Amino acid sequence: MIIVVRPGMLDLVVDLGRPGYRHQGVPEGGAADTPALIHANRLVGNPDSMAGLELTLRGPELLFPEGGVIALTGADMDARVNGGRLQHGEAQELEPGAKLEIGMARTGARGYLAVAGGLDVPVVLGSRSVFLPGGWGGWQGRALRSGDRLPAGREGGQAEWLRMPEFTPCPDCCLRVLPGPQLGSFSDKALVSFLDQVYTVDADSNRVGIRLQGVSLEYQGGELASQGVLPGAVQVPPSGQPIILGWDGPVTGGYPVIAGVISTDLPRLAQLKPGDRVSFRMVGVEQARMAWRRAATWLS
Amino acid sequence: MDELGQIKAGSVSRETPTWRWVTDRGLRIASGDATLAMYRRLCDANLSEINEVVPADGSLLLVMKPGVALPAVLSDILNEEQGRQAAAPGTKQHEIAVTFDGEDLRFVAAQTGLSVPDLIRRLCATVFSVKFLGFQPGFAYLEGLPEALHLARRNTPRTRVPAGSVALGGPYCGIYPAEGPGGWHLVGRTEAKLFNPAARPPARLQPGDTVRLVPA
Repeated sequence: MIIVVRPGMLDLVVDLGRPGYRHQGVPEGGAADTPALIHANRLVGNPDSMAGLELTLRGPELLFPEGGVIALTGADMDARVNGGRLQHGEAQELEPGAKLEIGMARTGARGYLAVAGGLDVPVVLGSRSVFLPGGWGGWQGRALRSGDRLPAGREGGQAEWLRMPEFTPCPDCCLRVLPGPQLGSFSDKALVSFLDQVYTVDADSNRVGIRLQGVSLEYQGGELASQGVLPGAVQVPPSGQPIILGWDGPVTGGYPVIAGVISTDLPRLAQLKPGDRVSFRMVGVEQARMAWRRAATWLS
Repeated sequence: MDELGQIKAGSVSRETPTWRWVTDRGLRIASGDATLAMYRRLCDANLSEINEVVPADGSLLLVMKPGVALPAVLSDILNEEQGRQAAAPGTKQHEIAVTFDGEDLRFVAAQTGLSVPDLIRRLCATVFSVKFLGFQPGFAYLEGLPEALHLARRNTPRTRVPAGSVALGGPYCGIYPAEGPGGWHLVGRTEAKLFNPAARPPARLQPGDTVRLVPA
């Protein structure tokens, strides 16, 4: 069991999400930075699919009455166990009664905390991930609050010795995109502007969408019928300010999609925080596939 | 395929719809009126490269496994003649009890030149069919709305529309399964539960089902 002494900014129970329900209106959800959650799970000897905590910008203060084995990955968050520093990206055994305090993220936006044995919340539609817009899944369909007592598994497996790609801070992040379905309906000026400018991540960003501020993009097409969309799709609403759809975003959308962030770069998107700068670079589908296969070698 | 990964028109048969990437995981196929038929054929084909097929308004989204190439048989399946008609799943008929007291009911009546009772009569006389699900879990796009009732969305969307709200937007009627933002015109509300994550399937209304609104 884990007791929440003080919640962080947004502490969510996540796993690898619930694929297969988009046609029911349900997005996959799950960890935004999937490799970071997998990394944390492997460090404590869990299968990749076990549920852990996604901590946004500022972490919580947690009590482990029975102890346990934990690991923290993803954003580099200031973390202490009973006052002593917790090494980022390393498994640590906790004594019964240990207190874990996780502070602000120094680089990146989302940290991942895995506990040996995983978090034992009910499985909803094949996943333990919370779906905040619907208020279900995860821990009581919401973020953690003070006094919550999270059921955690006791037994972990054999911890793996790991050498995972290090999280690289990305203050001037360049995301690779494929041309989107409505790219042709934007003015030439808008296309050049989209690829040349450096956007700023808006404070009004979350797991549903990452809003960007920059020079407005002009869409010249007509009214659009709702189309299927995915995390990474760059929508341009009438304001001309792009929104990159996030992990809990709607499964269909009626705004034109100028481009789509490639799967390999979604974890980098997950680590953007308000005020960060971001730009886009166009690639082809074959480059996107190669990037995925390269990035996925350590996952297998 | 050209540099941008888009299938060139003309490289496949005339009926081949246009294919576009939404992201490297999602291929959008313009499917027009054949959306539901293509959706069923693709589901039947159960291709290992495709994780899921999502029908929408005149298009399909193929959610691909990342890193894999498009299956070679894809265009054959999409272009298949209607001859081998995939078995349509059993379509259900739903009656949804609605209290017609929506905030925009008078506005919609005024815009369409109908009295409120006439507006309600026309809505209840319509047999809607579920075109696709989207927007939020269990939200069904109901088609069949008489053209006289098609209205542009609100200029400013509401930030909170209560769960159970029955609303009109463009050519569609929709019922919000959960609270959320919304730009459609609210005409009523229902107690009906439209999404239950513990049920299989979780959404009560499925593509192809018919829906009638009845006064509560």
